[in-house]
Amino acid sequence: MTASHEPHSAHELEDLLRARRGRIRLCGSGSRQDRLPPPGDAAVVRLARLDAIHRLEPGDLTCSVGAGLRRDVLDEALHRVGLELPCAGGGTIGGLFAHDAVGASTAGGAQPRSLLLGLEGMLANGTRFRAGAQVVKSVAGFDVHKLLVGSNGRLFVAVQMHLRLRPRPRAEAWFRRDGLEAAAACAQFAALRALAVPPAELHLQRTGSQCVVAGRFAGRASFVAERLRRLALPEAEPWRTLHLEPDGSGEVLAGIVLPSRVPELLAALPALPFLLRGGGRFELATASPAASDAALGALAALGAHACVARGEPARRGRGTTLDPGAERLLAGLKRALDPDDTFV
Amino acid sequence: MQALERDLCRLLGAQRVVYEPDALLAWECDGFTVHRSRPRAVVLPDSTAEVQAIVRLLHAADVPFVPRGAGTCLSGGPTAAATTVVIDLSRMRRVLRIAVEDLFAVVQPGVVNLDLTAAVRHLGLHYAPDPSSQSVCTIGGNLAENSGGPHCFKYGMTQDHVLSALVVLPDGELARLGCEAGSRPPHALDLPALFCGSEGTFAIATEITVRLCRDQESVRTLLFAFASMSAACRTVSDVVAAGLVPAALEILDQATIRAVEASVYRAGYPPEAAAVLLVELDGPDFVTAEEAAEVRACGERHAALRIEEAVEPQERARLWKGRKGAFGAMGRLATDLYVLDGVVPRTRLEEALERIAAIGRRHGVVPNNVFHAGDGNLHPNISFDGRCPDQTARTIAAGHEILQLCVDLGGSITGEHGVGSEKLDHIGMMFSPADLDVMARVRAVFDPDGRCNPGKALPSRAGCAEVAKWPQMVARVLGVEDGA
Repeated sequence: MTASHEPHSAHELEDLLRARRGRIRLCGSGSRQDRLPPPGDAAVVRLARLDAIHRLEPGDLTCSVGAGLRRDVLDEALHRVGLELPCAGGGTIGGLFAHDAVGASTAGGAQPRSLLLGLEGMLANGTRFRAGAQVVKSVAGFDVHKLLVGSNGRLFVAVQMHLRLRPRPRAEAWFRRDGLEAAAACAQFAALRALAVPPAELHLQRTGSQCVVAGRFAGRASFVAERLRRLALPEAEPWRTLHLEPDGSGEVLAGIVLPSRVPELLAALPALPFLLRGGGRFELATASPAASDAALGALAALGAHACVARGEPARRGRGTTLDPGAERLLAGLKRALDPDDTFV
Repeated sequence: MQALERDLCRLLGAQRVVYEPDALLAWECDGFTVHRSRPRAVVLPDSTAEVQAIVRLLHAADVPFVPRGAGTCLSGGPTAAATTVVIDLSRMRRVLRIAVEDLFAVVQPGVVNLDLTAAVRHLGLHYAPDPSSQSVCTIGGNLAENSGGPHCFKYGMTQDHVLSALVVLPDGELARLGCEAGSRPPHALDLPALFCGSEGTFAIATEITVRLCRDQESVRTLLFAFASMSAACRTVSDVVAAGLVPAALEILDQATIRAVEASVYRAGYPPEAAAVLLVELDGPDFVTAEEAAEVRACGERHAALRIEEAVEPQERARLWKGRKGAFGAMGRLATDLYVLDGVVPRTRLEEALERIAAIGRRHGVVPNNVFHAGDGNLHPNISFDGRCPDQTARTIAAGHEILQLCVDLGGSITGEHGVGSEKLDHIGMMFSPADLDVMARVRAVFDPDGRCNPGKALPSRAGCAEVAKWPQMVARVLGVEDGA
């Protein structure tokens, strides 16, 4: 049976790590654990109790929070002072950044990478360290904190995170166009992306042979109203779908693609459920592992990168071939920061 | 000529290898003129393959090297020790690819920042990061330093615009960090984000993929002149509190205004003003018009002496001319200029400026201020005579205290200039030996032998007592004993 720990403070976590022998699976609220290989005999360390808002400075547009703080709790605190964390995703803040499963919601939009200003972290042996800063600009030291993004908790523990915030837009409106052919949907998606001020969120979803393009304009009330009117976009309910679900023995691939290659991608992988966000991240549902492997080959040919995000545990993380030099560096970073391979 | 220089000449031809001591003068420092040192040699490659061949040669000979762009860095980053070879990338200045629909460009590292925007302007695009030196600084240098600029407040720093980089590692091997579609494939870490700001200590970028931004329909620049610095800072606070996100929020103090107005960068700023605030808004025309009215109201609340609003490019350029030329204008005031770079939480700007003035008085120097007010990124500038050891020491000591103040207020010792050699003794103000040890481990992944720009960004061995020893820098630059 897997041991589970839930430290209440950084000190408790430090003691735990210093005393612990063996492997560890870091976990926030647990909402994304189905995207990782199972922990096996590793002890699960839940960070959900490290959930304080340590500092919220509306005038500086920054805050510092415990990695276990839930997104909805932070949102509530930020909305009270007219601010927001301008990226999509739920669960805990630490989990949101460590998984970075959504990326930017629109062309050039904010994403976890640009919102993480610094952190206080802990290595597997309990050594505490800091990187980055609490202010919106700092180039002192190397940006080790940026390695949290997409690390899936396999390098170090984020204990406290310093975040960049934005004023909450004064108005917003969702739009949605249903029943589009793939070509028409791609054209609409590209046109919206190409606007000098694109929608704050943009999504394209294919189900069967039909596509939907949805998004959200945000800003001044006059701007939002003008955009919907000028582009003749029908107002709609907020878009909620951030991820695809695997079907039966199927899998979900998560990837990134140049927007200009999306029409080719849809043509090369017809009928597969597909979800694309304005920043270029996508998900693709396949019917089987074999279909996933074939899709990965097709995606690589399009210059896209993707990996198995959900499906058979042993296959999670399998993906397109990365540059060999980058692979070497990634392995080196794991060895440098977690030499005993404690975090799994 | 030694064997290494002969080998380098064989590789590149004699015209692209510099090793005569007098000729090396041009590479003896960057914009941080306090630290000067002539390198052993300079090489000027044209391609990734040449950089690779040079690095392999240096690797085999166990010779350290320093990558260098235009040399406009302000922290001594590309200044090389006498045993070190400079790899000058300024000849690698081709824009290799422009992808309009996907909004990126692939460039060589020697491409000048402003030249990239010039190359894509006809497509309605631009490259957003705009350091003051953008007419001469290179994209490679910007990547190494994670350069900022006035428009960071809305558009972010260089790091936010780098998607991918092809790098030559210190052993001569290649690695592609990130990909054109994004800086992080879903099963990788964000290597471009880590690499950006590594100050040339990880590897040499020879191809860089950067994000391009679409030009906005309308850009409005507003100038406010105030009778006090406090009024300027409070106007900025009001603008931010109103939920507005201008493209830029810049402040110049009176001494800077007067230096600008007495120079070729004259922009028509009122010399009687204690502070000038520049606010730039961009977006659809009707939106910038509405926002300008709100920003004007903020300035009027704080009794602005003068408000100007420019929409036409020529008029906007005039308003910006003074700000962009501020460092050049101040450079005329004395033989040397120490450009500091610290960050405080924006809400503590007023307090920081008052305390900086007091520090200046204590050391008998006058810090003039021009800064990115939206980001709390201060640039106190101290004019001094570098030929006078006493003035130099007082200038450096004042700088040290100013940076300590930034840290004490919850900020940083550098917002965009980097640590370089200038701030090796200051980095311990922000980071403990354990923090620096983690950074050193990361660096060693790229450069295990410490051959790539040694002695920059981190103390020579992070965690050692070096970080706590002030005033080592004074001793180092003056060539005297500790504490002199």
